[in-house]
Amino acid sequence: MVSLILNENMKLYRRIRTWVMVVLMIGAVLLGSFMEWHYDDKSMQGDGWRTEIADEQRQMQQGLSSPDMGDDTKRYYQDQILINDYRLEHDIRPTSGTMWDGINGSAELIVLITLFTVIIAGDSLAGEFATGTIKLLLIRPASRFKIWLAKYLSLILFSLMLLCILFVVSVLFNGLLYGFGWMNLPLLEVNGSGQVAEYNMVANLWKTYLLNGVSTIIFVSMAFMISSAFRSSTMAIGISIAALFAGAILMELLQAYDWSRYLLFANIDLSQHLSGRPYQEGMTLSFSIIVLAIHFAVFNLVSWLVFTRRDVAA
Amino acid sequence: MSQEPVVSLRQVTKRVGRHTIIDNLTFDVPQGEIFGFLGPNGAGKTTTIRMMVGLMSITNGEILIKGKNIKSQFEQAIRHVGAIVENPEMYKFLSGYHNLVHYARMIPGIPKERIREVVELVKLEDRIHDKVKKYSLGMRQRLGVAQALLHRPSVLILDEPTNGLDPAGIRELRDYLHYLTREEGITVIVSSHLLSEMELMCDRVAILQKGRLVDVKRIQEFMNTDDKAQTFLIEALPVEQALAIVREVEGVSGVKPVSEGIELIADRAVIPEVVSRLIEANIAIYEVRSVRQSLEDRFLQITGGEKIG
Ligand SMILES: Nc1ncnc2c1ncn2[C@@H]1O[C@H](COP(=O)(O)OP(=O)(O)OP(=O)(O)O)[C@@H](O)[C@H]1O
Ligand SMILES: [Mg+2]
Repeated sequence: MVSLILNENMKLYRRIRTWVMVVLMIGAVLLGSFMEWHYDDKSMQGDGWRTEIADEQRQMQQGLSSPDMGDDTKRYYQDQILINDYRLEHDIRPTSGTMWDGINGSAELIVLITLFTVIIAGDSLAGEFATGTIKLLLIRPASRFKIWLAKYLSLILFSLMLLCILFVVSVLFNGLLYGFGWMNLPLLEVNGSGQVAEYNMVANLWKTYLLNGVSTIIFVSMAFMISSAFRSSTMAIGISIAALFAGAILMELLQAYDWSRYLLFANIDLSQHLSGRPYQEGMTLSFSIIVLAIHFAVFNLVSWLVFTRRDVAA
Repeated sequence: MSQEPVVSLRQVTKRVGRHTIIDNLTFDVPQGEIFGFLGPNGAGKTTTIRMMVGLMSITNGEILIKGKNIKSQFEQAIRHVGAIVENPEMYKFLSGYHNLVHYARMIPGIPKERIREVVELVKLEDRIHDKVKKYSLGMRQRLGVAQALLHRPSVLILDEPTNGLDPAGIRELRDYLHYLTREEGITVIVSSHLLSEMELMCDRVAILQKGRLVDVKRIQEFMNTDDKAQTFLIEALPVEQALAIVREVEGVSGVKPVSEGIELIADRAVIPEVVSRLIEANIAIYEVRSVRQSLEDRFLQITGGEKIG
C-alpha cells in the first residue's frame, strides 16, 4: 500500500503542473497578506490599540441604547463589550495590528487548496484512462480497490501539504510584515456561560483550517467520483469547480425553502455553527455532519464501485 | 516441468449489450511455446487479451493462469503475467526509468538491479533517463517489453508487439522471444496481423474470426495440410503451347497462366511426367518450382478473405 502511494506521489510531484499550483499558492498568500497589511489601519499597531478599543466601547454602548436593534446584533455587541473590557483589564491586545491578523486572514485561501486538489482529483483517474496508462496500472498484483485508495490518499496528502505551506508561508511572511511580536496572544471569546475565555491562537487557526478542510474533502470526493464514473477529466473538474463556486449562490436562492437544508451546500461550511449563524434556523452541527457524512459515503462508494467493476476498454 | 497448460480458456464468452464479441473460446497454451493469435481486424484478439489480464470482465466461462482463476484469484494469477495491451502507453511526463520504478514498486521483491537488467535487455540504456514523451514509437515499444519482463513473468502477453518496430527491432524481438521460451521456459502469447511475422515467430497459432475460434494448430501443420495437391510454377515458353500440353497430363487438377509462366495444381509425383512431355514438345523450360503456400494464403483461405468485423 505504501509503495502504491509512493507511486501516486511520484506521478504527482514529477509534473510541472503540481509545482505551478504550489507556486500559485505561495504567491496568493504573499499577495493577499501584503495587500491586507498595506491597506490596514496602522493606528492599531503598537500601543495605539487602547485608545481605539476605548472608542469602540463608547460607540457600542451608544448603539445598545438605540431601540431598533435586532437580537443578533445586540448579543454580538454585548459580547464584544465584555471582551473589550477583559482586554483593557488584562492588557490583552486585539489581533489587529499583529501578525495574527494577517495569518487569520490568509485562512480564506483554503478555497485555493480546494480548487487545486479538485483539479488534480478530476484528472487523477480520468487522465489514466485518457492516456491509456490505466491498462498497465491495473495488470499488476494490486487490487483495484488498493489503487483507488492510494490515489485518494495521495490527494488528501496533497491538500495537507498545501495546507502546511499556507500555514508556514503566512506565519513567516506576516511575521516579516508586522514583526514577530505577541506570539502568545490568546484568542478571546465569550463562552457558553457568558464569561470571557482565553483560547490558543494557533489551535484555533488549525480548527478553522480543518473545518474548511472538510469542504475540501467533500469536493475532492465529488471530483474523484465523476472522474471515476465518466472517465473524463474535463467533466470532473468542470462540474466540481462549478459546484464549488455556484453552490453558495444557489443556496442563497433556495434559503426560503425548508427542504434546502438537506442539500450538500447548506451544510458544507461547518464554521456556520461556530459563529452561531446557521443557514437555516434549527440546523445543528450534528445535523450538518450527518448530511456531509452521507454525501461523503455516497460519493466514495459510487466512485469505488464504478472503478472496480467496469471494463477497461481504453 | 509439468505439462499442465500455463494459460487455459474454458468456454470464454464476452457479451457487450446484445453483441457477442467473443463466443465460446476454449483452448490451452502449453508451457514454453510462442502462441499466436491471428485474425482480421475486429476478430476479438485484443478483447481476449483484455479478459486474460483482468481488464475486462468475462461474461461466461473462465480463464486460468497457472491454475489460478483470473477473476476470483486475480492477484495470484496476474503475478505470473507480463503484458502489453494494444499500445504501450506509459507516463509521458516521467522518464523511462521512473516508469519502470513505478511498475517495479507494484510487485514485491524486484531489486533495482533487475530494472537495469531489463533496460539492457531492450537496449534502452542511452535513453532511459529521458522523458517518455521524447521517445519514438519503437522506443516506447521496447520500454513496454521491459515493463512486461520486470517481474520475470511465466506468461508474456503481447498485443501486436511488432507494431512500430523497425525490421532490426522485429528481428531482435523475435530472437529474444525465442530465447525466453527456449532458455527460460516462458510462455509467450502474441497477437498480430503481420502473418509473415507469425510464421517466423510462433510455434502454434489460434485463428480467430468474428469472436470464434476457427482453428488451433502447430504452424507446420498449417503449412502442410494440403500435402497431396501442391501448387507448382513452371516458367516455360511459349506459354500457350505449354498450357495445352500440361492440361492433357493425367493427375493435373488445374492449370492457369500467370505472369511468370504457368501455374498448376498437381500431385508431386506427376511433375517429372509434366516436364518430360514439355521437353518432348520442344518447349523451353527455364524454371520449375513448388509454390509454397504461405500462412497468409492459408489464412485467407481459412477465413475466406473475410472482411473486417
Ligand atoms: N467496449 C466495447 N464495446 C462494444 N464492442 C466492443 C468493445 N470493444 C471491442 N468491441 C468490438 O469487439 C470486436 C473485437 O474487437 P477487438 O479490439 O478485440 O479486435 P482485434 O482482433 O483486436 O482487432 P484489431 O486487429 O483491429 O486490433 C470488434 O467488433 C469491436 O467493435
Ligand atoms: Mg487489437
